[in-house]
Amino acid sequence: MNHLSDEQLEEVMGGGIRPEHLEHCDQCKKRLAEKEALASRLCSAFVSIKPEEELVEQIRRQLNVDSMPSEHGGRRCLLSIRSHWRSWATMASAAAVLIIAVPLIIHLSKPSSAAAAQAALVRIHEHNLSPNHEFYSESSPEKLADYFKNKLGFSPSMPRPEQGLSLRGCCVRHFRGQIVGSYVVETAIGIMSIVVVTDRPESLGMGQKFQHGEHLFWKSSFAKCEMVTVRLGEYSYCAVGEVSHSYLTDLLARLVPDSQK
Amino acid sequence: MPVAFLPVFDFPRVCRYPISVMADRSKFESIALAHLDAVYRAAVALCSNHQDAQDLVQVTFLKAFERFESFDRGSNCKAWLLTILRNKWVDQIRHKRVIGKVLPIEEEMVAEPQQNEETAWSNSRDLLENFSDEQVIKALQELPDEQRLSLFLIDVEQLSQMDVAEIMSVPVGTVKSRTSRARAILKKKLLSHAKEMGFAGDEK
Repeated sequence: MNHLSDEQLEEVMGGGIRPEHLEHCDQCKKRLAEKEALASRLCSAFVSIKPEEELVEQIRRQLNVDSMPSEHGGRRCLLSIRSHWRSWATMASAAAVLIIAVPLIIHLSKPSSAAAAQAALVRIHEHNLSPNHEFYSESSPEKLADYFKNKLGFSPSMPRPEQGLSLRGCCVRHFRGQIVGSYVVETAIGIMSIVVVTDRPESLGMGQKFQHGEHLFWKSSFAKCEMVTVRLGEYSYCAVGEVSHSYLTDLLARLVPDSQK
Repeated sequence: MPVAFLPVFDFPRVCRYPISVMADRSKFESIALAHLDAVYRAAVALCSNHQDAQDLVQVTFLKAFERFESFDRGSNCKAWLLTILRNKWVDQIRHKRVIGKVLPIEEEMVAEPQQNEETAWSNSRDLLENFSDEQVIKALQELPDEQRLSLFLIDVEQLSQMDVAEIMSVPVGTVKSRTSRARAILKKKLLSHAKEMGFAGDEK
């Protein structure tokens, strides 16, 4: 008796016609049952495999960033250059565009580690806004300071709540393999996170330096968020939120202790 | 009591992109991101570690977004995404091969189990229940690359042999033989683990 080949059994499993032979041959029936059992077990092994919520957010953020070139004419511009390649006038325009665009692209593009750092800061901010994560909800700066002292070994500067803002709470997070502190400030126009890291602002890709009062600040943008950083003592304070740079700068300016003003 | 914290009022910017781009993104999210679970499962099946799987998923979706205009609405989006995933994964393997980190994609290197081989699977369903999900996935990850993908797409994603053939750019007959070989090797590996763990008798 000729038994069914493995390929024939695969065809049966794939919904193909069931050969007559299978009705009479116990050996082939058994082989098919084994294959079906294996397929079923393999399928069930993946039932619990789900992407983390963080991955979804990362993809969404990257889609935001990916949309930017077409907004600024990057991709469309290249297509239009190709389609009018033979026209001298267009070539001249294209050259002009390139002269302007290349330095701009170089200026706008960040080193990957810096971009990753900023993505991580934005992620911390988004986690802070998420209702489903571990968060020490407390509005008293003293209690928040105690929490940080306990978890991080130091108490970062915090704005005073009586200055027209409130503190929502704080948490510790991982940033570049280190544990860092983060707290959330709520004002009438938005919610911002302040992440306290030991990294210097330059290493975070905060390329644009500017003076505000007596202090130097650095600013940057990533996805939907703006970021401003100031270095106070051994720590960099990174304010992140969907508000303007000037708003974040003023927030950080409030962190400077009176003695340093 | 100070009147206000800040003198500058600037409304939070919810949208910084043109409406058309936002609309594209919104469509992409509703059509393509809906298949994130399937794409992620496939990445887990293909990659040996979690981080690589996440990276592969990200590059897949970015590439898909880039090509979204060319996606034929109404066609099988899951298969389209899995094709992109497979291509990206092959690119990565080729790149790693060039820099000497991994062996070439193996296809025929593993000895093919003999057809009609009798085994100790007297009750295969019971035997398979002894393995944890992680053990089953690990055994799958040890299969030769193309066989692994073929088996995964057929058994886990329940795609037709025709769809798998399109995703992998091979004839349907090749899909059948790859799947069959993959299943046989997987069975052998699991049997071997079962014996090591002491819940299966000797083969033959």
